[in-house]
Amino acid sequence: MIAAVQRAIASDFFYQFRRDPVAVGSTLVLLVFVSLAVLAPLIATQNPYDPIQIDIMDSELPPVWQQGGDARFVFGTDPQGRDMWSTILYGTGVSLIIGIFAVMLQAVLGVTLGLMSGYIGGRLDSFLMRIADIQLSFSTLMVAIIVLAVFQAAFSAQLYADLAIIMLVLVIGIAEWPQYARTVRANVLAEKEKEYVDAARVIGLSRLRIMFRHILPNTLTPILVISTVQVANAIVAEAALSFLGLGMPVNQPSLGSLIRNGFDYILSGQWWITVIPSIVLIILILAINLLGDWLRDALNPKLYKET
Amino acid sequence: MDILAFLIRRLGQACVVMLVISLIGFSIQDNLGDPLRELVGQSVSEEERKALRDRMGLNDPFFVQYARFLGKAVQGDLGTSYFFKKPALEVIFNKFPATFELVLSATLIIILVSVPVGIYCAINPKSLFSRFVMVISIAGISIPVFLTAIFLIYIFAIYLDWLPSYGRGITVDFGWWRTGFLTADGLLHLIMPAVALSSIMLPLFIRLIRGEMMEVLRTEYVRFAWAKGLAPRRVWLLHAFKNTLLPVITVGGVQIGTLIAYTILTETVFQWPGMGFLFLEAVNRVDTPLIIAYIIVVGLIFVVTNTLVDLIYTMVNPMVRIAGVKG
Amino acid sequence: MPLLEVRDLEVEFPMRAGRLKALRGVGFSLDGGERLGIVGESGAGKSMAAYAILNLITEPGRISAGEISFDGTRLDTLDDEEMRHIRGNRIAMIFQDPMMTLNPVLTVGTQMVECLHAHRKMPEAEARALAIAKLREVAIPSPEQRFDAYPHELSGGLRQRVVIAIALLLDPAIIIADEPTTALDVTIQAEIMGLMIELCDNHRVGLILITHDLAVVSDVTQRMLVMYAGRVVEAGPTADVIDTPAHPYTIGLLHALPQKNEPGGMLNQIPGNMPSLAEVPTGCAFHPRCAHADARCKSELPQLRMVKERRVACHHAEALT
Repeated sequence: MIAAVQRAIASDFFYQFRRDPVAVGSTLVLLVFVSLAVLAPLIATQNPYDPIQIDIMDSELPPVWQQGGDARFVFGTDPQGRDMWSTILYGTGVSLIIGIFAVMLQAVLGVTLGLMSGYIGGRLDSFLMRIADIQLSFSTLMVAIIVLAVFQAAFSAQLYADLAIIMLVLVIGIAEWPQYARTVRANVLAEKEKEYVDAARVIGLSRLRIMFRHILPNTLTPILVISTVQVANAIVAEAALSFLGLGMPVNQPSLGSLIRNGFDYILSGQWWITVIPSIVLIILILAINLLGDWLRDALNPKLYKET
Repeated sequence: MDILAFLIRRLGQACVVMLVISLIGFSIQDNLGDPLRELVGQSVSEEERKALRDRMGLNDPFFVQYARFLGKAVQGDLGTSYFFKKPALEVIFNKFPATFELVLSATLIIILVSVPVGIYCAINPKSLFSRFVMVISIAGISIPVFLTAIFLIYIFAIYLDWLPSYGRGITVDFGWWRTGFLTADGLLHLIMPAVALSSIMLPLFIRLIRGEMMEVLRTEYVRFAWAKGLAPRRVWLLHAFKNTLLPVITVGGVQIGTLIAYTILTETVFQWPGMGFLFLEAVNRVDTPLIIAYIIVVGLIFVVTNTLVDLIYTMVNPMVRIAGVKG
Repeated sequence: MPLLEVRDLEVEFPMRAGRLKALRGVGFSLDGGERLGIVGESGAGKSMAAYAILNLITEPGRISAGEISFDGTRLDTLDDEEMRHIRGNRIAMIFQDPMMTLNPVLTVGTQMVECLHAHRKMPEAEARALAIAKLREVAIPSPEQRFDAYPHELSGGLRQRVVIAIALLLDPAIIIADEPTTALDVTIQAEIMGLMIELCDNHRVGLILITHDLAVVSDVTQRMLVMYAGRVVEAGPTADVIDTPAHPYTIGLLHALPQKNEPGGMLNQIPGNMPSLAEVPTGCAFHPRCAHADARCKSELPQLRMVKERRVACHHAEALT
């Protein structure tokens, strides 16, 4: 294990990484975000989920550097009296959790279906790709909005609030599998022609084994590249859905629902409730996108750019 | 002749998709909300309820009800909105012009900006302008649509007070169609929402066009075009760009769906009285017929636009056509 | 005076690793109506010389030294617009793979007529008639229908004929053909080559034929050059060079032809590989693979000099012939 890490650090890939300020910068930013989110229970001054700690009398206080600010609440408070700093910390955590889990679901689903579709081919392939096409053309966001809208209308508010995180992970996860499936399938079709597959078949390995133990490792590069961007997309999707009121409920804030909350107040001058979480969200997504861009260029030998 | 065969095949597929959508829509309706509750109050006996349900055909088997639903749908009857007390389809159509004009404006912005900028950046990738555009476009892609909308409002409506922050402004009626294009006020109201709606697609298309065109410029046939001594403009705009169009059209077709989803977000922020805003309100009010009607209408729009995009693609790409008796 | 003259041509590619020289001082000439062959392995620089003539080297490569003169005018100092008038018009070029050469989304006719419109003023109908006439001349059946066809609707041989027709459209003085038959079936190769020779003779067009195929060169050309690692190592009348090669590399190439072998014997290979642009040996670039190399070969770059009616770049040329 140590040897593997040592090898990784000494590798060409890591060398390229170290030399690129954008890659290093965005990874650092991401690490900061993730650590802050993980350490939230320790560094937040307040637990925004605990109604006892919130005092409605503290609501709508501006950040500490503006007139009327309170030293207890560095970034001010929201309409319910929650501390912005704490809420943003927890909210970032929620966004990251949903983003990562949704992408894991997409990946597992998409990669499996893509492998099967590409390797087995035939009717299964046409059928799956048809569905993927249709689903892609309807756009993830639209599908997510409709599904969540229907669920929200069908279930009681309390039940929905309890299930919100799971629903979001499920919906975003299932909505985006075509991305993975298509990429993996393209790779599988290319790999299928190669000799090591013939060799494995001749030995008599089962289809499943060939697919997962032999072909899959060779398709990992594009999967990795897509995954970074997909995490960013998932986080944006969750924020958008929460903003529409179809995502996280008001008492379990995420960055999106915070922005929604604050939007009504922007006209009356209480900008911090919307603007600060917005900036946090943008920085998070920007960092992930930059890293994803860099990864794609670094891992793609075809695009060896001239100076 | 080939176009006809293609159209018939696509129409068949479209019908299948619409059937599936209508089935989904109907099953949702069946399980969502209780039409009875809207019609009669609480204090109605259980027997009377059952009789009422029988009379309304609500106790019939699933597929019978579905067939009935389908029959009415084809005639344009998708139920009556609980809230508006008017036919759901009519309510949606009333809001259609607003959304259409918004989407049209955003699409125009996207096409008119991304094509020239993308082409320029492909031809001069190292210029200052190109690098600048690339940096801005990463930022643009990273900012979600609704945040762009909010920031636009914050800067231009609240801080600078140049542009109005909500609604369509003064509109003119052309029979049933209510347009905002014909008044200065209407156009002013259109600027921010259209810009916000185009804000993610624009950098996406610029990068796409630039990327694809740079690939095309490296091909042998473009090199041959130079070797023939053709004028640069012809090489770039005909030989190179026509080949760039193909993948761009494909991606564009897929993005139309996302654009429609983004209208919901944009209309919410700007309180733009379009179909998206209507849908969200319907969800909040649990106005089931309206929800279903919207799903079906949007489904139809998707199917139609996708078929159109496919058609355009076949017309532009000669290699996809069924070969005639040539060669 | 020769129609085309190339002198001391150097082409370099500035890269992160340093300046890579693709051509390190190449010179040759072509008279009107003459057929010249340029032979060498992939990477030797033969295509590069052709692209340099028409200034079509892809960036970041560029001509760093030398002169190219055509009909009295310096080509390497022309600006873009002036160069454009030469390309396709006075000097035409044919590339290797006709599927990649013709634009897939434009009809054959469009790609022919635009060439005419780019260099001459003529009404559409006349341009169309001229194009169809040229298609007929390259022996394409039913030229009117082919005119409106797309490249993918034609076979490989037909496509290459179209490309040849395009090259001839404006009655150029020189045609540069870069491996014109390599991508085609063997059976078609001879036809196409025969067609090209016939047309060049009929129209008094000079031909620069770039290929790695020695058999084609000996059939088609009157003079030839052999290139190695970006330089010309031997140049002279084709018959002389092929029958009695003087440079060790040329000797090795001819020996390596399967025809030269006894059936059942091992093929004669030249040991080693041609060096990449980044690792050109000092002195004579061929010395690591040459059985006759000595200290002088390792340090001193041999210049082309006349030996037995052809030019050779080898210190030991006299001794070997």
